Order: sequence, then C-alpha cells, then structure tokens
Amino acid sequence: MPIDVKELSYSYNPGTALEKRALQNISVSINRGEFVLIGGDTGSGKSTLIRHFNGLLRPICGHVTVGGMQAHEKHVKAKVGIVFQFPQDQLFGRTVYEDVAFGPSNFGIRGEELEERVAEALELVGIREELYNVPPFSLSGGEMRLVAIAGVLSMRPDHLVMDEPLAGLDPGNKHSLLRILKELHSQGISVIIVSHRISDLLPLADKVIWMEDGRISFEGRPQDFIDSGHSLPPAITSLMKDLRQRGIDVRDDIFTIEDAFNEICRVKREKMVHRQ
Amino acid sequence: MRSLFFTYIPGSSPLHILDPRTKIVAVMIASIVIFRSSSLTGIMCIGTVLLILFLISGVSYRVALASVRPMMVFLAIIFLMQLFMTGENAIFKLSGFKATWEGLHTGTLLITRFVYLLLFASLLTATTAPSMLTVGIERLLRPLPLRKTGISSFDLATMMSLSIHFVPLLHEKFEHLMDAQVSRGLDLKHDPFRTVHSLSVPMIRTALRSSEEVAFAMESRCYQGISRTSLFDPAIQKKDFLALSSFIALMWLILLLA
Ligand SMILES: Nc1ncnc2c1ncn2[C@@H]1O[C@H](COP(=O)(O)OP(=O)(O)OP(=O)(O)O)[C@@H](O)[C@H]1O
Ligand SMILES: [Mg+2]
Repeated sequence: MPIDVKELSYSYNPGTALEKRALQNISVSINRGEFVLIGGDTGSGKSTLIRHFNGLLRPICGHVTVGGMQAHEKHVKAKVGIVFQFPQDQLFGRTVYEDVAFGPSNFGIRGEELEERVAEALELVGIREELYNVPPFSLSGGEMRLVAIAGVLSMRPDHLVMDEPLAGLDPGNKHSLLRILKELHSQGISVIIVSHRISDLLPLADKVIWMEDGRISFEGRPQDFIDSGHSLPPAITSLMKDLRQRGIDVRDDIFTIEDAFNEICRVKREKMVHRQ
Repeated sequence: MRSLFFTYIPGSSPLHILDPRTKIVAVMIASIVIFRSSSLTGIMCIGTVLLILFLISGVSYRVALASVRPMMVFLAIIFLMQLFMTGENAIFKLSGFKATWEGLHTGTLLITRFVYLLLFASLLTATTAPSMLTVGIERLLRPLPLRKTGISSFDLATMMSLSIHFVPLLHEKFEHLMDAQVSRGLDLKHDPFRTVHSLSVPMIRTALRSSEEVAFAMESRCYQGISRTSLFDPAIQKKDFLALSSFIALMWLILLLA
C-alpha cells in the first residue's frame, strides 16, 4: 500500500490577504516498509505535506492516493497513522485502555480483537499492564506520549507518520523511542519521520526528503544527502572527516558510533600489522 | 495567526486607519441598534450598512464566514427553540411539538441579530491590530472611577485584550486537536457523543494550561497593572469625528424610520 503524491500544490486561506502557498508541485511516493525522513527548515511545509497523507487536507492541485484509494476516504486513516507534535495533548480517556481503544473502535473493532490490539500496542511502546486502568493524566509526560503513540499504533497502520517525535524528549526517552521505531520498521511498517533536525536519525533511514519553501529540494539516500551538504552531517561523521583530513586513513561515509568504532579499530589493527 | 477566526487582517482601508476608539464606540452603538430594531426594513438596512462596511474594509467574505461558522450549532439550537416554543398558529406538527409562524418570525429575527453582532465584532477585530484594540479599550475606560474598586483601567484593558488574543490561539489549538482525533478515525458528523467527549476533555486541559503559562510569562516579565505607557498612541482626528458622527446619524435614522 504505497502512498503516492502527484503534483500536489496547496495554499492556506486561498483568495484572502492571508493567502499562503505552502506546497508547490510535490511528487513523491513512499512504499510499505520504508524508513523515510522528511526534513526542512521551519515553515518549509513538512506538516502541511503529511496532513495530505491521510486526507486531513485536500489538495488544491494534484492528488494523493494510498494503495489506490483517495487519501480522504475514511479507511485510509486506519492505514496511515499520524502522531502529531505533542501527542500527549490529545489524550482524553478515563483510563489508558479506553484512550488507546479509541482509534480501532472508531473503525468498528470490538470485543476480543479490540483487547488484543490495545494490549499489543501498549506492549510495543513498553507501558506495563498495571497502568492499563489508571487515568492517562496521572502518568509522567514521557509515558503520556507513549500512550498517545500506542493510541495510533492500535489501528495497526501500514504507515506510521510522526511529526517532530523527538522534540522535548530527554536522552533516555529518545533512546527508547528510537528502539520502538526500529522495532516497528522491522515488522514491515513504513516509518515516516518529520523533523527539522534529522541528523540524529540518518543512520536509521532508507530515504531522505528535504523540503525548502514548499518544494522538495532533495530526495535520495542518506549518504547522498550528507554529501549534498543540505544540512550539517551527524557529529560522528564530522569527526571521521576531521580524522581523515589529519591524515588518518579512515572512511568518512560513516554515521553511527558503532561503525565509527569498528572503522577506527580496523585502521588501528592495520597499523599494528604494518609495524610488525 | 493562522485561522481567520476573529483575527486581524492587515490592510490600509479607511476602516483600518480609523482610531480604535471610534471603531469600538461604533460597534457598541451598532449592537444597541441591532437589538432595538425589530422591523424587517430595519434589519435589512443594518444588513446593507454591514455589507457596505465590509466592502470598504476590503476584508474577504471568508473572514465573515469564518466568524459565524463555529457558532452555527448554537444559532440552530436557538432558532429551533424559538420555532417550537413560542406562539399559537401552527405551521406543521412534529411528534407533539408544533412549529409556529410567530416562532419562525422571532427565531429568524433573533439569529439575524446574533449574526449581525458577530459580523460587527469580526469587522472590528479584522481591521484593528490587537495592540491598538488594547490601547483603545484602555483609553475609553480611563475616565471611569475604577481606582476605587481596586482595578485600574489598564488591568481591565489588559484582561479584555488578553481574552481577545486567546480566541484565535485556542481556536488554533482546537484545530490541531481535531486533526489528531480525526486521524484516529473520529467521525465528526456521525458520532456527536464521541466528538464532544474526545474534544472537550483535552481542550479544557489545554485552556487551563495556556492561561497558567501566560500568567507565568507576565509575572516573570514583571507585569504590573499600574499606569503603563503604551507603544502606540492613537489620536482622534477629523476623519474619526466625521466617520463616527455619520455612523451615529445613520443608525439613528434606521431606528427612527424603520
Ligand atoms: N493553518 C494555517 N493557516 C495559514 N497558514 C499556515 C497554516 N499552517 C501552516 N501555515 C503556513 O504554511 C507554511 C508551511 O507550514 P508548515 O506547518 O507545513 O511548516 P513546517 O515545515 O511543518 O514547519 P515547522 O518545522 O515549524 O513545523 C508556513 O509558512 C506556515 O506559516
Ligand atoms: Mg510542522
């Protein structure tokens, strides 16, 4: 079920003094199972773009289809789950369970299957069973965010879209969110992350889309993205480049700490062999 | 600001450049006249005046629509209550309730008045920058002996303009919330109970939190209500006298003749 965007343009408040062209002639397609980063500066149209993926906004020009269906059909909302910025603000249920069950029950899912889905989603984000029946507002901010994410996952979407998921998270929470995203990706769900600082996420991505002023200015592999100089490379990549400039023969197309460690070990081993 | 709901639309029309006080007083007079006139001609005349003012202001009709649309439900409820609960001469009956001609008349009149009020208010907020509105309110209140009650005219003006500021802010938060719940499959049209429940609970929390944040922000900037100077210093000019007196004359005429 790929998301297909063809020649999409969108303006806010068309025909008034406040008219604002937010998207211009965007074409992109996202396949099931891909890990996609959508980056770009503030106001470049990222949030506007993802609001088209499940039909919250309707294109003024062009069209958006999901697996052949028009994006505004109701069924698509279960296929493309969107977690908005500060999702904890959307919680309303009397209990964690009730809140997470909201999504699937809107699509007519009841009884055992509903219970199964809620439990599955909460387990995935790591919310313990004791918490299922407490009010969501009694949880910590980080836990509330996880519950809100579970509230989208319980619809069993094919695509999970998240707007600025790392904003305001401490390193611990950040780490566990990344683990959840990896897990989802390995289950074959496509993960689409929107952020204006994407360098931390580059190692996970299959594809990077960079937006500028309502247009796509780059689309391609993370490695090519770093080479294209659209945004600062991750700190570890800069370090490797630095080492290379100082005459140490390491590869500089590296962006995880693990790979960097292995690479440095390799170079060191080679040197030792040389000396002997 | 993102939505058109009671927001300022920058411009340079004759209405935009009037003193805020002129516009506030005009809106107050207009609301009195709106509730005093009950004849069809009166209502039509006021409608014409509104139309002309909107044309002069250069503000899009969408702004007018945006300010009335969120109130539709209430207007509909008011109309139905009038329709079924007043008068004797039935038009038709619906399971024990009867719609009456008197009800139709008063109902229509009442919602027209409400719509006119909303439109005048949106015209005011669309053509007056929020900071100017505050100054305008403050200057109008200044002559009142508020000191004795413990509230200064600055306090009152700040409170009023804060509440006016909050309308578009909360509206924007509300739209984000609606996006989130609709993305979780909420069907706004077919499931009123779920809609109200899933929107009102988070909305109340958001409203309380935002007001707390504003209070903190004001305190940490050493806000004190006593005698603040303002950045803008509006001055009443000839054109304000002209505009206001012709508006008053017009409204007077409508009241007398219609
Ligand atoms: N509801 C709205 N009404 C009017 N204009 C809007 C609205 N939402 C966004 N815009 C404008 O459209 C443009 C694109 O906004 P968008 O929110 O898509 O950007 P973004 O890339 O998500 O930015 P950020 O990183 O700040 O979230 C911006 O210039 C913004 O001011
Ligand atoms: Mg955004």
